[in-house]
Amino acid sequence: MSSHVLGISAFYHDAAAALVRDGKLVAAVQEERFSRKKHDPRLPKSAINYCLEEAFIEADDLDAVVFYDNSLLTLERALCSIASGAANGNEVWMKSAPTLLGVKPFIADLLRKRLGIDVPILFAKHHTSHAASAFYPSPFDEAAVLTVDGVGEWATTSIHRGSDVALEAVSEIRYPHSLGLLYSAFTYFTGFKVNSGEYKLMGLAPYGEPRYVDLICDNLIELNEDGSFRLNLEYFGYIDSNRMTNAKFDELFGGPPRTPEARIGRREMDIAASIQKVTETAVLGLARRARETTGCSKLCLAGGVALNCVANGELLREGIFEEVWIQPAAGDAGGAVGAALLASYQKFGGVRALNSDGRDRQQGSYLGPRFGPAEVKAFLDRESYPYHLISKESDLAARAAKLLAQGKVVGLLHGRMEFGPRSLGGRSILGDPRSADTQTVMNLKIKYRESFRPFAPSVLRERMLDFFDLDVESPYMLLVAPVKKDRCLPFERDPESEDLLAMVRAPRSDIPAVTHIDYSARVQSVDGIDHPFYHRILSDFESLTGFGVLVNTSFNVRGEPIVCSPQDAYRCFQRTAMDALILENCLLLKDEQPEIPEDDSWKEEYELD
Amino acid sequence: MNRQLFEYDPMLGYRFIPRLKARMEHEDGGYLVRTNGLGFRSEHEFDAPRRSGIRRVLLFGDSFTAGDGVSNKKRYGDQLESLVDDVEVWNYGLPGSGTDQQYLIFRELAANTDHDLLIIAVLVENIRRVAARYRVAETGEGELRCLAKPYYSLEEGQLVLHHVPVPKGTVAEADLPSEQVDRGGRLPWLRTAINRMGPGAKKWAQKMTQYDPVPDYGDPDGPHWQLMSAILRHWIGEATRPVVLLPLPLYQHVEETSSAGAYRARFQEVAAASGAILHDPLDDLLEYSPQERRNFRFEVDIHPTPEAHRALAESLATIVRSSLPGGVGG
Repeated sequence: MSSHVLGISAFYHDAAAALVRDGKLVAAVQEERFSRKKHDPRLPKSAINYCLEEAFIEADDLDAVVFYDNSLLTLERALCSIASGAANGNEVWMKSAPTLLGVKPFIADLLRKRLGIDVPILFAKHHTSHAASAFYPSPFDEAAVLTVDGVGEWATTSIHRGSDVALEAVSEIRYPHSLGLLYSAFTYFTGFKVNSGEYKLMGLAPYGEPRYVDLICDNLIELNEDGSFRLNLEYFGYIDSNRMTNAKFDELFGGPPRTPEARIGRREMDIAASIQKVTETAVLGLARRARETTGCSKLCLAGGVALNCVANGELLREGIFEEVWIQPAAGDAGGAVGAALLASYQKFGGVRALNSDGRDRQQGSYLGPRFGPAEVKAFLDRESYPYHLISKESDLAARAAKLLAQGKVVGLLHGRMEFGPRSLGGRSILGDPRSADTQTVMNLKIKYRESFRPFAPSVLRERMLDFFDLDVESPYMLLVAPVKKDRCLPFERDPESEDLLAMVRAPRSDIPAVTHIDYSARVQSVDGIDHPFYHRILSDFESLTGFGVLVNTSFNVRGEPIVCSPQDAYRCFQRTAMDALILENCLLLKDEQPEIPEDDSWKEEYELD
Repeated sequence: MNRQLFEYDPMLGYRFIPRLKARMEHEDGGYLVRTNGLGFRSEHEFDAPRRSGIRRVLLFGDSFTAGDGVSNKKRYGDQLESLVDDVEVWNYGLPGSGTDQQYLIFRELAANTDHDLLIIAVLVENIRRVAARYRVAETGEGELRCLAKPYYSLEEGQLVLHHVPVPKGTVAEADLPSEQVDRGGRLPWLRTAINRMGPGAKKWAQKMTQYDPVPDYGDPDGPHWQLMSAILRHWIGEATRPVVLLPLPLYQHVEETSSAGAYRARFQEVAAASGAILHDPLDDLLEYSPQERRNFRFEVDIHPTPEAHRALAESLATIVRSSLPGGVGG
């Protein structure tokens, strides 16, 4: 008799659900993909529905539902913060109370009444869920597990030691000392949205000079020899107000925070570079501490800070651990996976069988819904949209590669959707990395976003060393590595310049669209096992151009969740300057589609991040 | 977000996408849908050879039979398999269809299928659908548009088929004569208004006004009943095995806010004239308490709940046992 465990993360940000059958991950998906509301924190009813669909079980076939954190501990922390004498405690309480008192304690009722799920509800601890999400799907039998995020219950950082199905807590750093909140404070200060725009701050960092590192280390964070850290709370607002920073912080950095959408200046670039450096130093310190306290030679990472792929790259190059594995859904969404796996192994006797070929158990992170060829055809026929049915995959891949080699931008919806914030060829927009214009065109005419933000390359696994100084797989686009020196072009940087666009447009290598200003790239290695069709497109592109590399960016516009269904994909395709769209085995060309009325009002559907 | 379940079909207008596995979100949580290779919501493949000793029932109907709101295995057709020994039920139910489309399914896809018993389940509301040429449906963008359907007209006693192949695409409701469109009820605007007043308002209003959701059965010579009965007589006449005619009541009849007398009389007449075995389940359903009968539909969705499907299956089981080869077994 199989056991089925459903994991849920919700009511903070990025609600998600995951389903585990006998210790094997069957499905995982974020609610935002269905609700079309970015980082949707609400009860993930559609995500749960999908998980039950994928397993094809009734709700009462579940053995348990596991919530990814402990609401009572979170409530305790919130009450303690307020009781600590915060001047604006009432303001903080009013914001957090509806969730802490109104929803979380009644999750069992909610599941029963709204979803008809009436099975035992278990609660995991937040950082244990993160640790489980990192260790259990990893290819390691034994590993240190480091989790770093804003806060979960009391913990902001934890170190565990994983061995087979055991997960032993080793140490933790507690709120309010938080590396995640420190980074979010700078996200806020530089004018980006907290819990959403952190990756923008990371993308901005290479444009700046780390001029503020000493200022940060002297005033804001104390980095200790043993890898631990403490924040100087005098500069932060998150304890006693609903703002991340305060007037003292403004004073330290010479003025108020940048207003969202205002011009990004030299100060923001340099702050981004500085906090990135500090974060890397802190992560390296924590990793050394994890190595020493667990004695393990392999490391698993999760928590929002693990999405800082620049820091991940540094960690890898530092060689503190022999191998590193990072949960691709490292943020709170991944907590659903960890919670479900934890219960499956520790309560329902699931067997953690490692793959004999050394591959991880995340299945390429293609854990979301698939819309098969018959469904795509039914949709296109119903709407009378013109398409070319190309049944043979090799023919379709060749056609896609040809379009890309001609400089066209191609949307790709193929196979199961990715779990986590990165598009990995299941729901991607692809482009030619050789063109210097690709980054600007894709940013402004397709993504409708700030043009400084770099794109990431997908590269054939077997060609990775031809392009990047990276000798380990990076299937989840979580590692930043230098572009090979012999591909780079001389580029004079003016450390005082405030003209981001001029810097973006300057060619830096023979794959300029994916080469950051610091000659690095956020790499996805693609092999023929997890996504053979995408591998084939890359191979065919290489045959035509000599480059086994493509630009791969998420299939969405700014502020929009990544597309899920063929309907979402078609809508995005029509609203942007994409030239072609692949929906399973159907190819759609923009110039054959019906004209849509000029109307930009849809851009208001999505809140800018 | 629910998956698109249907694809265009030139004969029927639409049918289920073949080999689909989906879970549909629903007010009761959700339900599992599995379709077979022919595009019907069935656990059986319709090209499967006869299994020794297993009697085969072919079942036709609309969403009440296809099982909107409940998983495949909880539908009355599937539950019959556990109530009657050695029987398999092939469910050709198509949501939103009229008896005309169901007859077409039989003629085009099932007439030559080896079977032992044919059940024609007619949701009594279907009388309105056979008169319609278009049906309102929601597009992927949530817009209400009209889709063409095949339909029959009765010309000098003969059934004449129209709209085949069924025109593709959608038409705005405003562009069509109202008598050609099935909107899923008699007075959709009034239903919307009363529904906004709360769950009890509709029941109260229907009881007070003695609302009849299917007045077309009141006149045996009326055009809609004449068309409906002609379709049923042709269908039953073409059948090569015993036919059970199963009129499925609306909730107003089950909850006794509307009289069922007229439709029951019409189905008795057509069964007598055609030689079909009439099984009217209403008396069995009325044996349940008022509260149990209220639980035969969902809070909002009027489709049968698993409890209603169970009650229907139990009501039907006796007649199926006695109508199958081998007599009263099971």
